Amino acid sequence: MLFAINFRSGKPVYLQLVDQVKAAAASGAVRAGEPLPSIRPLAEELRVNRNTIAKAFTELEAQGVIETHPGKGSFLRPNNSPLKKEVRRKVLAEAIDEAAVQAHHFQVGRAEFLRLAEERYDTLEHRRSRATGGERS
Amino acid sequence: MTAPDTGTAIAIDDLVRRYGRTEAVNGLSLRVPTGGCYGFFGRNGSGKTTTIKCLLNLLRPTSGRVQVFGLDPARDEVAVKSRLAYVPDVVAFYPWMTVRQTLDYFASFRTRWDEATERALVDEFRLDLRQKTSHLSKGQRTQLGLITAICAEPDLLVLDEPTSGLDPVVRREFIRTVIGAYQDKDPARTVFVSTHLIAEFEGLIDRFTIIDAGREVLTLDADEARERYQKIYARFPGAPPALDLDGAHVLRRTEREIEVVVHGAPAQAIERVQALSPEVVKTEALTLEDIFVSTVRTPGVAA
Repeated sequence: MLFAINFRSGKPVYLQLVDQVKAAAASGAVRAGEPLPSIRPLAEELRVNRNTIAKAFTELEAQGVIETHPGKGSFLRPNNSPLKKEVRRKVLAEAIDEAAVQAHHFQVGRAEFLRLAEERYDTLEHRRSRATGGERS
Repeated sequence: MTAPDTGTAIAIDDLVRRYGRTEAVNGLSLRVPTGGCYGFFGRNGSGKTTTIKCLLNLLRPTSGRVQVFGLDPARDEVAVKSRLAYVPDVVAFYPWMTVRQTLDYFASFRTRWDEATERALVDEFRLDLRQKTSHLSKGQRTQLGLITAICAEPDLLVLDEPTSGLDPVVRREFIRTVIGAYQDKDPARTVFVSTHLIAEFEGLIDRFTIIDAGREVLTLDADEARERYQKIYARFPGAPPALDLDGAHVLRRTEREIEVVVHGAPAQAIERVQALSPEVVKTEALTLEDIFVSTVRTPGVAA
C-alpha cells in the first residue's frame, strides 16, 4: 500500500493523507495523469472513515495537486503548482522548521542537519529520475 | 421524512437511569451530529448499554431527555425505529429459521431493503442461506446481524460492542463493511458505536465521548484529541528536575528519565522540558485508546 496512517503522529488523519499524496507525487511514485484509488477502496483498505478520505481529496483538489472527474475518479495533475512562489516557500519553510526543531531535540548540529537535507534531496532526485525512466541519467 | 432534522442524530440531555438504587447513567448529556462516526467509550458497567437501550426505547429514562433525529423514542417509536438499525454484542435470531428466512423476516418490517447489498454481503461473508441460524457461529451471527441492519438503509447505525468476542479477521471485515457498504452509500449516514476495542475503530471515529460511572468525562474530535494529548519522554544527565507542567500526569520516573502525558498546549510543555537541557526528548501523540486509559484511570484531570 502506498499510503499508511499513523495515529501516533499527532497530525490530523486527512492531512497525513494529503502529505503522503504530495510526497508520492514529488517522488514520482505516482505520476501526472495517473488515477488515485477511489474513496471507498482507500477508506476500506486504511480502515479510515470515508469522510476523512473525502476531506483529504477536497484539500488536494484545492491545492491543485489532483483533479476529479465525476464518474471517472481523481487524477494527479501535471506538476504546475498553482501556489505562488512565496506561498510555496512559506509552506516549505514550515516543514523545515519542524525538522529543525526535531534536529535540535535529537542534538543534531547545524552542519549535520544541512548535510542530511542535501543527502535526502539527492536521494529523492535519484529516485525520481529512476521512476521517470532515467532521463536525467 | 417528516422528522424535524436539525443536523443532530442523537441528543441526550441530563439522562438518569436507575436500577433500584444503582444509578447506571447519572446525568449524561451528549450530541451526535449527522454524517460521521461517533465513538462512545467506557469501561464495562460504565452505562453505555443502558444509554443505548434508552435510545431504542428498550428502557425508559428515570429522568432527563433522549431524542433521535429530534424525535422521542418512546412517543415516536415507529418513526425513530424506521430510521435506525442496531447491532448488539450478542445477536439472537429465531433458531428454527434459516438465514434466508431470517433476512426475509427482517425485511418484512422495513419500508426499504437493499437486495443487491444483501446478496453482496451474504457472498462476502460466505453465509449459507439454507443454514439454520442456530447452527451459525458467533461471528456469523454478528455478520447476519450487520446485514439485516445495513440492508434496511438506516440513517443511523447503532453498534453496541459489535466486535467483542470475534476473531480478528471477522472484526476487520465488519469494520470494512461499515465503511464501505454502509457509509459510502450516503455520506450523511451516521454511525454511533459503543466499544472498548477502541484501537480497532480508531480510523473511523470523528468524535467521541468517554463515559465513566454513568457520567461524561471527555468529549472531543478525534484529530483534536490526538493533537492535544501527547506523551513526552525525556532523559537527563542526572536526576530529572522537578517538572511543573499544568495538567501533566507523570507516567513514569526513574533515576534519569521521566515520562509524562500532557493534554492541551503540548508544544509549550515540550519547550518547558527542552529548557531543562535533557539529553534526549521524544514526543508521541496518544492514540484514542491511550487517551481513554489515561482519562478513566485518573478522574479529574480530563481535558
